[in-house]
Amino acid sequence: MTSSSRAASGAAIYLLLGIGAVITLAPFVFSVLTSFTSTRQFATGTPLQLPHPPTLANYTGLADAGFGRVIAVTALMTAVIVLGQLTFSVLAAYAFARLHFRGREVLFWVYIATLMVPPTVTIVPMYLMMAQAGLRNTFWALVLPFVFGSPYAIFLLREYFRTIPADLINAARIDGANTLDVLVHVVIPASRPILVTLTLITVVSQWNNFMWPLVITSGPKWRVLTVATAGLQSQYNAQWTLVMAATTVAIVPLIVVFVVFQRHIVRSIVVTGLK
Amino acid sequence: MASPRVRTSVLAYALVAPSLFGVAVFLLLPMFVVGWLSLHRWDLLGPIRYVGLDNWRSVLSDGTFGNSLVVTLVFVMLVVPAQSALGLAAASMLGRRLPGSGIFRTLYVVPWICAPIAIAVLWRWLLAPTDGAINTLLGHRVEWLTDPELALPVVSAVTVWTNVGYVTLFFLAGILAIPDGIHDAARLDGATAWQRFWKITIPLLRPTMFFVVVTGIISSAQVFDTVYALTAGGPQNRTDLVAHRIYAEAFGTAAVGRAAVMAIVLFVILIVATVAQHLYFRRRISYDLV
Repeated sequence: MTSSSRAASGAAIYLLLGIGAVITLAPFVFSVLTSFTSTRQFATGTPLQLPHPPTLANYTGLADAGFGRVIAVTALMTAVIVLGQLTFSVLAAYAFARLHFRGREVLFWVYIATLMVPPTVTIVPMYLMMAQAGLRNTFWALVLPFVFGSPYAIFLLREYFRTIPADLINAARIDGANTLDVLVHVVIPASRPILVTLTLITVVSQWNNFMWPLVITSGPKWRVLTVATAGLQSQYNAQWTLVMAATTVAIVPLIVVFVVFQRHIVRSIVVTGLK
Repeated sequence: MASPRVRTSVLAYALVAPSLFGVAVFLLLPMFVVGWLSLHRWDLLGPIRYVGLDNWRSVLSDGTFGNSLVVTLVFVMLVVPAQSALGLAAASMLGRRLPGSGIFRTLYVVPWICAPIAIAVLWRWLLAPTDGAINTLLGHRVEWLTDPELALPVVSAVTVWTNVGYVTLFFLAGILAIPDGIHDAARLDGATAWQRFWKITIPLLRPTMFFVVVTGIISSAQVFDTVYALTAGGPQNRTDLVAHRIYAEAFGTAAVGRAAVMAIVLFVILIVATVAQHLYFRRRISYDLV
């Protein structure tokens, strides 16, 4: 290839990549701008004008609609699930990776088999189970199905734990460390990257979870951000400035997390399939 | 005093116990409950009544569920090839490693990180008939979400827009894993960039392709949030994807038994699709890697 045709193909690639970037980002830019536009300007002007002057009225409107509590519930739910899932997954993965016990292979096979169970299929029976347990519209109902660890996290952690040199663990044992000491002082510090990955996966998937909170909660008490955003849209269909403030609140925290951890996230998507 | 072996087993089961409880109660038990529910009638509030195969008969004989299966099939066939092709195209451009490629790669993933329901609400505004951004840019009114011919392609396009960056990451990893030497050798033999793409890149990407297509089918066959906010299954049930139909039966019309039947059928279809693709791709992959 001559150097001029190489330059031409480079320019063509940048052009296409740039078009892709505009198509990807424009919707976000439009919605954030709209969230700072007054209802009056939105109604009278064309929808794509810059907000003049920018207003926070839509965000105070969200506060009036109870979004303060909604954000708190969402954050609490996410935190509880992340903590439980990591703790219980680490415990189980350590047993599967490092201890020899009867039934280990069968049990692990059962865990892996449950990866095939799609959430769409379990949602209806789980609703019945929660209803029978009298847990509809409680905080328990939001967190219980996810808090006991996930087979997928256990699978990834087990793979990782197996790469930790046995000498490291044996040395600690000789020094008199029990299993808990070994986990806290040897295994967990050696597994920082995978633990960060799993934390990110869980935060993203729980913050974004919609179908389960939608069916199992009702009313404002345990409403989470995804359900509140969808509810606002159907309630105030035409009030797009308010609705765009809600989508911004739902989206921006994760974009911030993404920007901070972007190298890590991009790598872990490829390693784990991040779902 | 118990032997060390027994003590290890006790310790192991103590460590496994919480997750085992979770797996048993929230993943395995629902699979039995859904089967049991499919033989019962329940309206979410009242008593549960045994009705034999009534739900199965009514679901398999009425057209609503059949329509949902067809809509879902069309949706999957629109979404998976489009997002795979666009992801592959983006990845092969990023694979040149031109300066700044990393920024584009990261940007493209942003929609995928966001809550699908928030994305759907956002697009509901972008596509709104009179005060939406897209019709404003176009300067005339298009009924993106209420025209029966347009709605499903539009919902598919929003899904593709969300997923392309994610798919790109996998193809990019696959492309970067191909040793430079193979391309260099082909170049010395006079192969053009186009020939190298079809004869080297594509065959060596088969395993990636397999992963992207299988996970693409499994996830797009279960899309719910996007249709919930964009169309609620309409117009005329043209975007009534299976996951949305299950939700509408159980929590809209309170026909929980019927929803259970649909969930079981969806589960069987997903399993069969996964196994079939495994068999198909395993043959092709092992052939290519020799």
